[in-house]
Amino acid sequence: MIRITNMEKVYRTEEVETVALNKISIEVKQGEFVAIMGPSGCGKSTLLNILGLLDDPDAGSFVFNGIEVAKFNERKRADLRKHNIGFVFQSFNLIDELTVYENVELPLIYTQVPSAERKIRVEKVLDQMQIMHRRNHFPQQLSGGQQQRVAVARAVVNNPKLILADEPTGNLDSNNGNEVMQLLTDLNEKGTTIVMVTHSEHDAKFSHRIIRMLDGQTVTENILV
Amino acid sequence: MFSTFFKIAFRNILKNKIFSTINILGLSIGMAAAMLMVLWVQNELSYDQFHEKKDRVYEAWNKAEFSGELNCWNTTPKILGPTMRKDFPEVETTVRVNWQQSHLLRVGEKQISVRGSHVDPDFFEVFSFPLVKGHSRQALDNIDDITITEKTARSLFGDADPIGKQVKVDNHQLFTISAVVKDLPNNTRFNFDILMPWKYLESKEGGPENNWGNNSTRTYVLLKPGVNVDAFQAKMKVLKPRYDSSEPKWQMFVYPMSRWRLHSSFENGVETGGRITIVALFGVIAGFVLLIACINFMNLSTARSEKRAKEVGVRKVVGADKKSLIFQFIAESILISALSGILSIGLVHLMLPSFNELSVKNLQLEFSNVNYWLAFLGFVLVTGFLAGSYPAFFLSAFQPVKVLKGSFRKAHAAVNPRKILVVTQFVFAITLIICTLVVRSQIQYAQDRDSGYNKNNLVYVFLEGKSFDSYTLIKNEILNNGFATSITKTSAPLTEGWSDSWGFEWEGKDPNDKTDFDRFCADDALGKTAGFQFVAGRDLDLKNYPTDSTAMIINQSALKVMKFKNPIGQIVKDNGIDWHIVGVVKDFIMQSPYYPTRPMIIEGAKGWFNVVHLKLNPQKNTAENMAGIEAIYKKFNPEFPVTIHFIDEDYALKFQDEKKVGTLAGIFAGLTIFISCLGLFGLATFMAENRIKEIGIRKVLGASVAGIVQMLSREFLILVGIALLIACPLAGWAMHNWLQEYAYRVSLSWTVFALAGSLSFLIAIATVSFQAVKAAIANPVRSLRTE
Repeated sequence: MIRITNMEKVYRTEEVETVALNKISIEVKQGEFVAIMGPSGCGKSTLLNILGLLDDPDAGSFVFNGIEVAKFNERKRADLRKHNIGFVFQSFNLIDELTVYENVELPLIYTQVPSAERKIRVEKVLDQMQIMHRRNHFPQQLSGGQQQRVAVARAVVNNPKLILADEPTGNLDSNNGNEVMQLLTDLNEKGTTIVMVTHSEHDAKFSHRIIRMLDGQTVTENILV
Repeated sequence: MFSTFFKIAFRNILKNKIFSTINILGLSIGMAAAMLMVLWVQNELSYDQFHEKKDRVYEAWNKAEFSGELNCWNTTPKILGPTMRKDFPEVETTVRVNWQQSHLLRVGEKQISVRGSHVDPDFFEVFSFPLVKGHSRQALDNIDDITITEKTARSLFGDADPIGKQVKVDNHQLFTISAVVKDLPNNTRFNFDILMPWKYLESKEGGPENNWGNNSTRTYVLLKPGVNVDAFQAKMKVLKPRYDSSEPKWQMFVYPMSRWRLHSSFENGVETGGRITIVALFGVIAGFVLLIACINFMNLSTARSEKRAKEVGVRKVVGADKKSLIFQFIAESILISALSGILSIGLVHLMLPSFNELSVKNLQLEFSNVNYWLAFLGFVLVTGFLAGSYPAFFLSAFQPVKVLKGSFRKAHAAVNPRKILVVTQFVFAITLIICTLVVRSQIQYAQDRDSGYNKNNLVYVFLEGKSFDSYTLIKNEILNNGFATSITKTSAPLTEGWSDSWGFEWEGKDPNDKTDFDRFCADDALGKTAGFQFVAGRDLDLKNYPTDSTAMIINQSALKVMKFKNPIGQIVKDNGIDWHIVGVVKDFIMQSPYYPTRPMIIEGAKGWFNVVHLKLNPQKNTAENMAGIEAIYKKFNPEFPVTIHFIDEDYALKFQDEKKVGTLAGIFAGLTIFISCLGLFGLATFMAENRIKEIGIRKVLGASVAGIVQMLSREFLILVGIALLIACPLAGWAMHNWLQEYAYRVSLSWTVFALAGSLSFLIAIATVSFQAVKAAIANPVRSLRTE
């Protein structure tokens, strides 16, 4: 599903040049659950952003679903992203001014799903995440675990082929963290490909394969299943 | 998609009450001011545009050379209209309208004072003033026909049908009401209450006047459809010399109705603008006030960008493209603009009465007029777009990776758009403050100018009815009773020149000299009554010098033109009379206090008289004097009400226009400052919020409250300083040009700029320091913990 070859990404400020990705090559197959680990600054978030088409590489190839997307422009990337990729962030990133229901509905609005169908799909996913009773609450009125469940609901409501999770349990206690990991595992079992960046060995054990990174390169790959 | 946009917008408005208030209040004040201006401009542009035949209606003008300059003016000989009808097949009809005068109408015991003119019978064929009763073709056919307005009809007859009823005009002639015209709209040059037939005027004057040399009336021309106007102008150009061989170069032309109101200013024979400059200026000011209010919106929206950044990031991640975000933010600002618009209608409604008083208009919000609502809608959309466009592009350009990772920090660039916008606002505000100060000092300067006579206790009364014949009796009785110390009969009030001429003859006059003199008449003791200062000779004195009925007084400017070494006893010929000069007075201000005094001659008792000037007796109180004078007038002229006018009040009216300009500039300066300060307040609040951690750390490290206030205020004061540097030359240039219109003018002094500068600094400090002090005295422990 994803094939990255010799990818490079360099961040430049006036004085410093930071190599975030150094000719990295990775492949992720359809239906896989991959964890990316490594110390802070090793380039894992950069990799995730490029996989999510939020950022563009300086060099190298990125084939997504058989299409070379490394040179896509902003509009094309946005289009591909909204139909294929869901995101889960450490800090949830819900819009404070929108209710739970409206937050989850947002991706469907941007993919122009008709309103009647939106209602069915949002309610289904809220039910699935067991937060239906909170549908009219605003994010600040929820616990961290609940907020992350809303974020996961928002990530999956459009039935994406790929979910990218950036330390999804980083702001949660262990109980809530385990619940979220269970949600992701369930989604993976239903066929969604998941790529997750994490610091937690515990969370990484939920995945099929762990890619360890250092200084913008992969160092090892452990296959767990 | 729309519904979530508006939902977010509404929730944002409710969540940030201070900023929403600042935004909506600022925008609504700006919109209200702009709406008032637009109403005014629209009224000006619509002047006399409702006449059905407006494209064919013209006014006849003269163009003739005096003292090397080509003058254009619109009073014409009475014979012109009939001649044009006779000579030019292109002319459908002509209508003469003589000078509007005040008339007394009497029906039984009821009497009212009205304004009216004598006009040719085709008046209503040319001008579209609808008649509510009577027929336009017959409204002014008979010599005793009179047409009155609805308002006049109501005050004379209440609800009764006035047609066919009789009314006595000036206690003299009975007229029959032939038609009632709908009250005139507020956008026409005409403002009569009654119209009387031209025929009546002619019969009063002893027949038609055929004198081509007497320019005394306005002549309106209705051309036939399809007439080639250029060809017609060529005929007009040579019309006058055909009938008046003494003026071979004198031209005439017709001037189209569409240009009367706004363009009729001529310089050396060429149309050079006119009121249109003021209309354009007001339009520009309206635009600027609105822009300043929009700038607030832009500044506050972009200052709050950090708070909106996450939303932008999330929306982009879940699929929003830039276009839809731009659309969202513009929709949001249109919503705020709509709320402000509704509020501004309320504000306009409240301000209209005062604005009407200031602009001497009767502007109204026509709620039942669909066009008004369409214009309002357009106005809201334009404002929303104007205010929302920059924030929309600014916010929608955020990179999701950066804002969601929290690495988003606003740049502390030395020059950023927000600073430029604040500077722009203050440039306008300071410019307007300087303009207000200069206009005021110019008015003060002209008011302080010596008028050349003593206005205290000086009053005048118009001669009416039997007071013409009983003047001597009235005068003696007032003087004998001690209500006045001195009385003189004059041709016009001292504050108004009613007559001028270049036709005087004197010994040694250059035959090419066409200097125009003001002409005034007084029978006796004018110098004593008015308190003139004589530089040579004496006052008019009929008692001691019986030949003073042909005596003349001239002013110093006239003496300069006439170049007499010994003016006393010199003869000046006018209207077939040899006037002998008995005195020379110091120049006094009769016309505009802003211009040099014109040369002037005052003719003695053989002149013509309309007005009586009285110097009230200072030994008695004014009320007693006035009651006494009124009683004596009533005794000799019982049919007319007595109105006593005070010269000092009339004199004060000479400053009215400039005072209005001053008031208007002051109001707009105040509004601009207020709106700009609202914005500054908002920015200061955000700045204090954003730097709360920095302030906490500084305090922990030992910074004083004063030091922090200074640090927070400095940035804004620098911006105001830059604005001052730009505004000073700008305002200086504008005011220098404005002052050129006045011969007597103040010089631009640095104190005005210094005052405006200190004023704007003070206001800015007061605005910013509230937030700065609040932030500086906050407990640092708390701010550091919350971070």
